Amino acid sequence: MKIQGAQLKVKGSRFGVGLLILLVAALLVAVLLGSEKLSFFELTDEQNAILFDIRLPRILLGATVGASLALAGASLQSLLRNPLAEPYLLGVSNGAALGTMLAFIFFAQSEFARPMMAFAGAGLATFAVYQMAKSRTGMNVERLVLSGVIVTTFLSSILVLLTSLLDSTKLRSFTFWLLGDLSQGTKNGFYLTLIIAAVGTIVLSSQARALNLMMLGERDAFDFGVEVGKTRLIVFTTAAALVGTSVAASGSVGYVGLIVPHLVRLSIGSDNRLVVPFSALAGAIFVVLADTVARVTIAPRELPVGAITALVGAPLFIYLLKRN
Amino acid sequence: MSKIKLQKSNCIFFAPLHFCANKLVSQNFAFVWILFCLVLLANCKNETVNQSKFAPTREITDDLGRRVRLPERVTSAVSLAPNLTEITFAVGAGERLVGVTSFCDYPEEAKRIRRIGDTLTPNIENIIALKPQIVLVSTASQMENFTRTIDAQNIAYFVTNPNSLDDIYKTIYQIGEIFGTSDKAYQVVAELKKRVADVEARTASAADVKVFVQIDKNSLYTVGKESFMTDLIARAGGESLTKDVATAYPKISKETALALNPERIILSESDNNLEPNEVFANSPAMKKNKVFRIEADLLSRPGPRIVDGLERLARALHPESFE
Repeated sequence: MKIQGAQLKVKGSRFGVGLLILLVAALLVAVLLGSEKLSFFELTDEQNAILFDIRLPRILLGATVGASLALAGASLQSLLRNPLAEPYLLGVSNGAALGTMLAFIFFAQSEFARPMMAFAGAGLATFAVYQMAKSRTGMNVERLVLSGVIVTTFLSSILVLLTSLLDSTKLRSFTFWLLGDLSQGTKNGFYLTLIIAAVGTIVLSSQARALNLMMLGERDAFDFGVEVGKTRLIVFTTAAALVGTSVAASGSVGYVGLIVPHLVRLSIGSDNRLVVPFSALAGAIFVVLADTVARVTIAPRELPVGAITALVGAPLFIYLLKRN
Repeated sequence: MSKIKLQKSNCIFFAPLHFCANKLVSQNFAFVWILFCLVLLANCKNETVNQSKFAPTREITDDLGRRVRLPERVTSAVSLAPNLTEITFAVGAGERLVGVTSFCDYPEEAKRIRRIGDTLTPNIENIIALKPQIVLVSTASQMENFTRTIDAQNIAYFVTNPNSLDDIYKTIYQIGEIFGTSDKAYQVVAELKKRVADVEARTASAADVKVFVQIDKNSLYTVGKESFMTDLIARAGGESLTKDVATAYPKISKETALALNPERIILSESDNNLEPNEVFANSPAMKKNKVFRIEADLLSRPGPRIVDGLERLARALHPESFE
């Protein structure tokens, strides 16, 4: 059962190389396709601007957002021993969305208020769900999912309330943004998500062994010498930061954190030393492709990328459930 | 057996890759390498020297108080709202529009212009590719991110915010000024003012009637305090029953609607708004069959055709004045 270090490395590097090739291919496809046809060999000034100021930053933002959400999903699933743990389904994304919206209303001027407030919102939502799901007998799957549903709907209702109370034209674009919209990203937003995704990958990978043991149950993990409380705090905080920065940059892109880690586990097993970093890569691929579909399908108009990921994610998830 | 063999041959085939990958993975180089590539990608751009243009420019002020710099003669523009497209055609500059939204369906010629998305989510790639000298925006379409991006591309944009008949005249003047067709703009406004004066003269002596404007049959959207429709109804010799409700297009409850007892019901005509809501069944308007449909575009677009809307409205409220 236990995979030896060398074997793990071989298996991992093969899969990693495959994913890297796929990521490059996905980025290429995304760059080539768009509402405006570009003649790549002799770019005019305008085409140059379209490619490097509009299209490429958006694709890269999609990659970092996808990586962040998949990372958060993968680690939450192991930590909570729950295959359905996902930022969007647990209400963490909605917490971040509410934080972003409050930042928009109260500190419209400050660009970094949004990710900060989103992080706070995501953290509070995670804490709320965890406290509700926890019971003396431990945490079961249903209780967690139910808590997630309650927190999600409660936060949604506040979001709807805010959008209808503040009937200003500025907030109108929020309805589109809430479904996930990468077109509103900025370069600073990209750098922030990139840094958080990179730090998140390192931090969560360092917790991979602990997470592996946590999958056996908190008591067993404790017996094996895992500092359960510390691991939980680290994973929750990192996941909240990952989700917060992603949502602040691009709204709630759902199902990425659910579908991507599951696909990765199906391919290489459930060892978190591989699942965590490769979920980041696979998440980037998934969102880049989904956003390409969103940009191209009804061009010059656009679909919200969150609708595409949900459209792909939900049926794929049902199929995976049935097949297992 | 065969499975193991396959794996082995696989290993041999991938050996060079593995060697590299192992080395990279083990030293965390792959990770750093990916990050490096991403940052590099985000920053790469063929910087072209920005030729400073010495062509003469002028400045005009938009509704947000911004000074917008324009070339002496504007030959290409993008309109992000149907009313702005209509005004541009009215002042005789329609052929200079290179991009419009998917809502821009009037006049007929506007339908042949390149579509660049809709008012709320215009497509930035398309707009840049069209190289417009100016983008005409209404506050309804103005999004913080959108204007930021367009600023970064050094494309000028002009924001309009017409909320009353006088504002509409002003917007027509402004757009005339942008395209250098002020004479035509003054002519258009003079014509509109004449028609408005005529309507007002006819309805001046008539008693004000209580009007309800229904925008949607099932969810009762109507016109509120901030809508130019409230002003229009007053000029047509009526009084909007919802004139004190906050915001421009509020949704009211059925209970409130029931208590309104309108003498006239105006339906802003669209597929889901062909009849009055059931709550008006016992209202004076329904009993006396005083329900009128007016094309939604004539009531909702703050452009020259709003006066057509006003005339229809006046005829509906006071047919006796137009005999």
